[in-house]
Amino acid sequence: MFNSDIILILTSTLIIIALSSMLLTKMQKIKQLQNEADELKRSLDGMDEQAKIIVRTDMELNRIQEELDKKISGLYALQGLSYAISMTLVEEEIFRRLSLEYLEKLGFEKTLVFLWDNERKNFTLKTAIGYTEEEINLINSHINANKNHCLNLIGEAKTLSSLSAPGNFITKNTLYNIFKANYFIFSPILPQQNNRGFLFVGTQNAETVITEGDEELIKILTTQLGQALENARLFEKTWNAQQELEKKVTERTRELTAALEEVRKLSKLKTNFVSSVSHELRTPLTSIKGYAAILLTGKLGAIPIEAKERLDKINRHSDELVHMVNDLLDISRIESGKVTMNLAPCDLKEIINKVDDLLSGQLKERKINLSVNIEPNASSVLIDRVQIERVFINLIGNAMKFTPAGGRISISNRKAGEMIQVDVSDTGCGIPLEAQEAIFEEFFRVDNPINQEVKGTGLGLALVKRIIETHQGKIWVKSKAGSGSTFSFTLQQG
Amino acid sequence: MQVGIGFSAESDHIKAAKEAVDNAMPGINKGKVDLAFLFSTIKFNHPLVLKTIAESLKNIPLLGLNTPAVMFNLGIYSNGLLVVLFSLPEGIYFNTACVKEVSTKTALASGEKLGEELLYGCQGVRRNLSIIFSDGCIADKQNIIFGLQEKIGRSFPMVGASTCGLNARTEKACLYFGSLALNDAVCGILFGDKLNFGLGIKHGWQPLGKPRKITRSSGNTINEIDDKAGVDLYQEYLAKNVSGLKKNLGRISTFYPLGIDITRKKEYLLRSLSSIEDDGSLVFNGDTPQGSTVRLMISSKESCLESTRQAAKLAKKSLGNQKPKLLLVFNSLARAILLGRQENMEIEIIKDVFGKDTPIAGVYTLTEQAPLSSAIYLGKSYFHNNSIAILAIAG
Repeated sequence: MFNSDIILILTSTLIIIALSSMLLTKMQKIKQLQNEADELKRSLDGMDEQAKIIVRTDMELNRIQEELDKKISGLYALQGLSYAISMTLVEEEIFRRLSLEYLEKLGFEKTLVFLWDNERKNFTLKTAIGYTEEEINLINSHINANKNHCLNLIGEAKTLSSLSAPGNFITKNTLYNIFKANYFIFSPILPQQNNRGFLFVGTQNAETVITEGDEELIKILTTQLGQALENARLFEKTWNAQQELEKKVTERTRELTAALEEVRKLSKLKTNFVSSVSHELRTPLTSIKGYAAILLTGKLGAIPIEAKERLDKINRHSDELVHMVNDLLDISRIESGKVTMNLAPCDLKEIINKVDDLLSGQLKERKINLSVNIEPNASSVLIDRVQIERVFINLIGNAMKFTPAGGRISISNRKAGEMIQVDVSDTGCGIPLEAQEAIFEEFFRVDNPINQEVKGTGLGLALVKRIIETHQGKIWVKSKAGSGSTFSFTLQQG
Repeated sequence: MQVGIGFSAESDHIKAAKEAVDNAMPGINKGKVDLAFLFSTIKFNHPLVLKTIAESLKNIPLLGLNTPAVMFNLGIYSNGLLVVLFSLPEGIYFNTACVKEVSTKTALASGEKLGEELLYGCQGVRRNLSIIFSDGCIADKQNIIFGLQEKIGRSFPMVGASTCGLNARTEKACLYFGSLALNDAVCGILFGDKLNFGLGIKHGWQPLGKPRKITRSSGNTINEIDDKAGVDLYQEYLAKNVSGLKKNLGRISTFYPLGIDITRKKEYLLRSLSSIEDDGSLVFNGDTPQGSTVRLMISSKESCLESTRQAAKLAKKSLGNQKPKLLLVFNSLARAILLGRQENMEIEIIKDVFGKDTPIAGVYTLTEQAPLSSAIYLGKSYFHNNSIAILAIAG
């Protein structure tokens, strides 16, 4: 009994010890697990704390990124707007180019532009984006009811916004109920001379945050607008001046055309008159000359010496008069286009040789040397041979008149572009500068002692000029009083 | 199937509508137009646009929605309208339907009604895809899906999007159905029989911080997380008071949605924050079931773009060897905000995966609707936030 009790006690004790040991082990394990769980929880909490830091940092980074994106988009929009408004010089078009697309990129869906009208003494709406007709009318009334306030604000030349405007600038009520915006920027438009105004941009987006950067962008935009308006004004001014000038030029051209037409008419009348008179003169002149010649023959009876001398004079003067009348008739024929030039390639040398033959007696008599220097490669010309012979006869004849004995007349030629230039020079008394242009006019004679002695009609050079011009050429003179003259003319190549 | 896409940014509504339709017409190769989608920015939300399109297309069925920007092969445009025309071969059936004034009934009932109307005309036809557009302002949009799937079944996927204005206070985005522009409505199309398509949906957000439990919620509203006011979670992570959080709501909603681990499939269903209530409750753009485990989510531009590539690859893979005739893209506006100036990269990635000439027509959305796992259809569609859903239609 005792033994069994002892055994039972011992067994129980052992079981208790074993269970206690197990319990202890379990408890230790639980404690260990709890420690581990606590550690994990601490780690998780630590990680959660780190997560909080990450989220806060991320939020700040996102905010900065958003602002940066907004600024970059704003700059792109501003660049687009600036380009668009600077590409026109028409005031109304400038305002039309303030498109919603760009303004929305700047963060505003409402836009107003008012300009001060100096004549009407009120503000005129130039652009309204994002408003209904009814809202525009309300805004227009509000602005003009407060025009002095607006003018003062423009005068201060400050850009104001929901960020920077003083509390009494605009009430929230007015901003929302009249301008339909929660946030705004107001910026004056200040062209140098043109009417001033302002730009208002607004947004209803409650999450909008107006920054100094936004103010700066809108200020740049209004500066650009001011410049564009100034450019448009200058362009309009220049355009108007040009239009006025063009009008005047057109008017003057019309007057000149009318005057020219009148001159042409008069010239034609003069030509016709000269032609008629010359014809009328030639018939009686022929009779006078004929009768004088008959009388001089003595067939109608002997003529006293005094009478013969008079008849000789009549005959000589009649010749001069016939010569003059023929020249006048030639000029008027050329002027009226009645003379047809028979153009054909000719050699200058042949023509000059012929003229030389014709005048050689006179040249010899006057002891004047004629020097001809013709370049063979510039000697073929397209001319009416008979007419150009007259040109040479006239020019050499004139040179002979004014070149003293022992003097020289020289003829040369050369290529002048597409034309052939011929120069006829003499060592005569020369032509004063003031007379050089007039010598080609009809009946003009240089006032000098030789002209007073030597007779002339004053038609030779006029005739020469018309013949050359009919050949599509030009004639001019270079001369200096006392140093001879050079008459140059151009002819088409043959 | 022939598909034509036409875009116009003309400021005149009539000219824009005509130009978009004219530009889309060559794509259908003189075929008969059977169906049209219209995606337009809010500026083109004008009766004249719908009237002109209806006149041009002889009143064919039309569905669509407003979007802050339209996306197509040439880029992303914040002003413009996009018309997608379909000429369907024999063997592809469809029916369109619309339920107006959703707020006068429950969203569930509206979904059921839409389902009934979509089924009408598709009886006896094997259904294989539905596309649903809903007004983003409807509070419990997810119930529309439940109601709809209750009626049309869960054996095929449902894809869709809800409208989103850039600024809910000033821009009232609407849906298009026929010649109507509607708010407070849901419309959809049910395709049957031989329509081949592939679908990919991804978001690119990663969990951050420790898992938490929604201890009290109702519908879209989380009242408590870990027995504390819902707003505490955001206060803790962002170190801002309630007023600071409200001020930054747009940014928080975009960058730090909550991820709901509802299936333990390594895919978190995102919920972006819509508003913060005075009692500290959080309202999300989608349902937030009580008892769910949630984590704060974070993303980066790279991760976002990578998810676009994954979504495109999934859509391509699920389409098999077929070449898509159209890629319909429902893309969360939050992604465009996150990507900022790199938003166009998503189109480039899609073109890179499918080929640059594959026609793309996409919209920016508030929520996207698609099955959770895009590779294998699991019978249930969800409302997603911050995600990109790519539906590749091969015909």
